[in-house]
Amino acid sequence: MARYLRFHILLLAIAAASACHRSAPGAASPAGGPARGGSLTASLRSEPPTFNRFAPTAAQAPVDAVARLTQATLVRVNRLTGDPEPWLAERWTTSADGRTLTFTLRDGVAFSDGVPFTSEDVLFSFRALYDPSVGSVLASGVMVQGKPLQIAAPDARTVVVTLPAPFAPGAALLDNVPIYPKHLLQAALDAHTFAAAWGVTTPPATMAGLGPFVVSEYVPGQRLTLARNPHYWRRDAAGVALPYLDRIVVEFVKGQDAEMLRLEAGSIDLMTQADVAPENISSLRRLRDRGALQIAEPGVSVDPILLWFNLTAAAAAKNAQARPYLQRTEFRQAISYAIDRDAIVNTLYLGAAVPVYGPVTPGNRTWYADSAPKYPHDPARAAALLAGLGLTDRNGDGALEDAAGRPVRFSILTQGNHIRGRTAAMVQEQLRTAGIAVDLVELDPPSLFGRFGSGDYDAICYGLQTSAFDPALNLDFWLSSGSNHVWNPEQKTPATPWERAIDDLMQKQAAAPALAERQRLFAEVQRLFGENLPGIYLVSPKVTIAMSRRVGGAVPVLLDPKILWQADSLYAK
Amino acid sequence: MTTIGFLARRVLAALALVFVATSGALLLAQLAPGDYASQFGRDQAQVAAERHRLGLDLPVAQQYARWLKRSLTLDLGESFQYQRPVTALVAERAWNTALLAATSLAVATLLGIPWGIVTGSRRGVLIRALRGVSLLFLSIPPLISSLTMLAVAARTGWLPVSGMGGVSHLVVPTLALALPIAAILERLQAQSIGDALATPMALSARARGISRRRIVWRHAWRQSLGPILAIYGVIVGTLFSGSFAVEIVTSWPGLGDLMRQALLTRDTYLVAGCAAAGAAFLAAGVLLGDVLHAVVDPRVGGA
Repeated sequence: MARYLRFHILLLAIAAASACHRSAPGAASPAGGPARGGSLTASLRSEPPTFNRFAPTAAQAPVDAVARLTQATLVRVNRLTGDPEPWLAERWTTSADGRTLTFTLRDGVAFSDGVPFTSEDVLFSFRALYDPSVGSVLASGVMVQGKPLQIAAPDARTVVVTLPAPFAPGAALLDNVPIYPKHLLQAALDAHTFAAAWGVTTPPATMAGLGPFVVSEYVPGQRLTLARNPHYWRRDAAGVALPYLDRIVVEFVKGQDAEMLRLEAGSIDLMTQADVAPENISSLRRLRDRGALQIAEPGVSVDPILLWFNLTAAAAAKNAQARPYLQRTEFRQAISYAIDRDAIVNTLYLGAAVPVYGPVTPGNRTWYADSAPKYPHDPARAAALLAGLGLTDRNGDGALEDAAGRPVRFSILTQGNHIRGRTAAMVQEQLRTAGIAVDLVELDPPSLFGRFGSGDYDAICYGLQTSAFDPALNLDFWLSSGSNHVWNPEQKTPATPWERAIDDLMQKQAAAPALAERQRLFAEVQRLFGENLPGIYLVSPKVTIAMSRRVGGAVPVLLDPKILWQADSLYAK
Repeated sequence: MTTIGFLARRVLAALALVFVATSGALLLAQLAPGDYASQFGRDQAQVAAERHRLGLDLPVAQQYARWLKRSLTLDLGESFQYQRPVTALVAERAWNTALLAATSLAVATLLGIPWGIVTGSRRGVLIRALRGVSLLFLSIPPLISSLTMLAVAARTGWLPVSGMGGVSHLVVPTLALALPIAAILERLQAQSIGDALATPMALSARARGISRRRIVWRHAWRQSLGPILAIYGVIVGTLFSGSFAVEIVTSWPGLGDLMRQALLTRDTYLVAGCAAAGAAFLAAGVLLGDVLHAVVDPRVGGA
């Protein structure tokens, strides 16, 4: 009996030790609203390789998430409305030609080490951003027509940004440029070592930022602890200094399943990459109904899954003899009609997704054009389009053949061990019933990127992440010269008339000052895209975000970081 | 052959194992499709610049030769993604793996050896049940047992479900690793003690009136230790190098987790570094096993 007692005492001791690691509550607010103090624990699926957002290795969501917690920008794009709002700059004016933006910086703002923030820091940050020795991954995204912005600082509180050409999103471009302290990093930039500065082993005391938190401790493979920035400049409506939280602990939890278990067990409060897998939604709803969790559903994701064919000149030459249909618009239209998106939504996503037919999903309310062509499941229409290309079942085996009797066949590369791979498998099965043989090749991301880079593929099923609602901030995808124009990237001149038309429309759209005109032009772009179908869009998940009951002040949104974009206003209940 | 010669031969074999495993891992990672620089949305000029910066534009043989030259001074290169020396990264994680493996080994030994002595020296319904439990642990892979324990931990809230922190975080991965090994040790110990109890020495001791308990715990157990020690080193090596799957499932920040991340990003030097550490653990375990075997059976050392 004594042994059993000892065992139970041991279990209790273990449970108590475990409880000590959980997040601390904030002090009770007299008014019942947000209170200062306490901490929350967030999970992150991979470790940031650096704390330097400009580093060449910083093209990763974890680096961006940490940068948004520890650094600040002149202007912030409100993830809820999509509009730019004053941040380190308290206001700005735009010249009549739309090319010159004059920013007035907030007075009395200081870095976390107490050194005042001035326009010199802005100049320095842009110098670092565009410096070739830094090789920043952000630089190409902060250019207009491939040219950098010109920055001037007439006085300590004024910054003048001159755009190389009129650009409608204007100030929103600056949402991607964190302002770094010149007094700490000037030497590294001069010595051409800026790219390696502020690695994860840099002592926290030697770094400083303008964000709500500062790096307090980094334990490799385990966690990153962020403490309140004592000099943070924002206050809430009642004049209380932000952030409310004393600390945010970021635990590195590898994999969505492990994250779900930890959320369920109460050892994390929220997930930085906050989306929940469809198969977990029903169990989370049960936990919510029991009062264990809170769930938010901000809408349809802006990151749909798509299938695109290799439309490069090299692929066209390779397929010219045996499979010319792979380059034909009618073939892609037939594939789109042959795919039953509703079946994918119901079977694979358990209803937690919507069918989509183009790159802009209904989640992007400002820019989605419902008038763009749609391809509802229509096997007869698919068969007719295929027959028009000479692809019919010539020997009665249920599979299509071309005029030479060769079976209609192509391969789809996709990401293994992921819902993208399962989506591709359903497409494979649906196309089999349409008489088209598909070889599915599941790869890990580097292999997939490698095959894509070398042009060694027929089709790829993947998901491209959107970093902004405004299409002018995704020109890399829309323009034929863009590297993200995945079906035929980096074209010297547009390969097709419709790509040339889209290029022209997007350039006009990006320069037009009036929103209504921009929307009209972009609706035309979506129509052209839908007619020519370089990418067959399949489904877009409904975003479900789960948090512990302790998280207060969260405003979940569709763009990453879905909860932590508003980290300074989060509080612990 | 002298003891020194025996040891020297084993150490050389261990070093050869580490070298072959590390070189193999590096070359396979380099030959796999894709590399660290490839990503969607990156233009070809950016990819080329990044490849040049990282030396990935050199022929594989030249990359390998450069790495080999550096590795002679124990410089295993720099991780592409972490921009830190591989040796430092691997050392941090190897310590975590060693902690988990050592704890699991201690638990497995403290559980498996007495368990085997009991099941090997007694009969009855309870003993058959204990053997059944042992077979159960033996047949469940650590991956499945760790997933099951994680689910229980999440539902009950008794234990942290993953990660590394206090002692409580060790429980799930340790049990997942230790229980199958405890079952192996139980099987071996039970067989060995049964053999020892059947020797003329044990039978004559019993005939002289020495109690069964004394024979088992004072005499037969020592005699039965030889076969256990002979494979103990192999178990140690396997445990230190083979806990990767459990580490990944339980988010234990050890070498397994680092290796997975390195493979997924084609961080080739880090892949090689993790392979080197895993092979070193395995080689050390095998070496220890050989030495222990030689200690309990001098014929091995002199062979």
